[in-house]
Amino acid sequence: MFKLPRKTLINFILVSCVVLLVSNFLSCFKNPTQKVFKPHLSIIGLVKREILGVIFYHHNMLQSQGLQSDVDSLRWRLFNLREVTQENVRLKNLLNFKQKSPLRLVAARVIGRSIDSWSSSVVIDKGRYDGIKPGMAVISPKGLVGSIAESMDNTSKVLLINDPNQGIFCIVQRSRQEGLVSGTLGSNLIMRYLPDGAQIIAGDIIITSELSQIYPKGLLLGQVVNIGREFSGLNRYALVKPIVDLSSIEEVLVIIL
Amino acid sequence: MKNLLFLLTIIILATLGLLWPFFLNFFYCKPDLLLIFMVALVFYTDFKTALIFGILAGLTKDVFLPWQVAINTICFSAWSYLVYRLGRQISTEENYVRMAVVLVVALLNNLIIGIQSVAAGNIMPPGIFLRNLIIVSVYTSLLSPLIFKLTKRIAA
Repeated sequence: MFKLPRKTLINFILVSCVVLLVSNFLSCFKNPTQKVFKPHLSIIGLVKREILGVIFYHHNMLQSQGLQSDVDSLRWRLFNLREVTQENVRLKNLLNFKQKSPLRLVAARVIGRSIDSWSSSVVIDKGRYDGIKPGMAVISPKGLVGSIAESMDNTSKVLLINDPNQGIFCIVQRSRQEGLVSGTLGSNLIMRYLPDGAQIIAGDIIITSELSQIYPKGLLLGQVVNIGREFSGLNRYALVKPIVDLSSIEEVLVIIL
Repeated sequence: MKNLLFLLTIIILATLGLLWPFFLNFFYCKPDLLLIFMVALVFYTDFKTALIFGILAGLTKDVFLPWQVAINTICFSAWSYLVYRLGRQISTEENYVRMAVVLVVALLNNLIIGIQSVAAGNIMPPGIFLRNLIIVSVYTSLLSPLIFKLTKRIAA
């Protein structure tokens, strides 16, 4: 029969107990460890950004020229939109609508990315001391980025929208068709639970729904690139390309509720 | 002194993992540097040191993952023990054997994490599952000689 010496058995049980104890109290280790990592992560992150800026100078220059032309056209559109917004405010006041309180935003810098390839998250340099709590929505000026998964004293972990653990209740902006968007770890997101006759086509814009508990209504998420039928044959799904380039985000805004 | 250097190496490798430049990603995959270090410790130090720092490496990795389960802490300690037992059964002196051991450990570790993720109800296309399983493991294995050299120098 399989025999183990008593000493080996005791050692094995002791080590197993230690490992289980450590894994049970994982949350106790998170705050102090992230505190240790935060200062040098911020500094090395800055240095890395500067070095990459020098290496990819030509690429950045071309990108800057493209963005400058975008800024010019957007400025003109913004001017027009201001007029529309002012008109909207006047009309709402006239109709005696309740004014929603404006969103309070906290700007944060990305200081670290996911340590492995099985999850998609980033570490930001703001935490509980800045009023950030788990479950808060994280956006960028372009659109939705993710939500706060954990908040420590000075840092927080953001679960990006392309993480498989994410589930965001969304609608198609054009047809108001509802669906659940989740991440696949790939470059596209998947919108599921679409009925057979769903009003959705490639190119449709996907925004967050008011039924979502975490995300405010109307946040831009992405654009439909492909539509398919689920394996069961009961529902359809849509592949959604995120508006935000999740691989290169450097600054984010956390919506403080 | 050596222990302090091992601890410092864990911090450096975790920092490298967190700030891994995007252009060094291979098919969107990054290597698991802490896993290589854990295996290297078994080859170059005594079992007790390897186990303790293996657990610490796993814990450091878990701290920066968005999950509540310390799966790497548990797996790393198990791999430390199994690689130690394997080292007593076969000769692991050659570099390519050590690379093969890292490849097998990385494959098993990624398989467990992947299955755990899918079992939790997450949607993951088979292509992405295989990409994370195979490319991450191969990339990790290919980078292992560098970490082996570093560990050997510290342990010497």
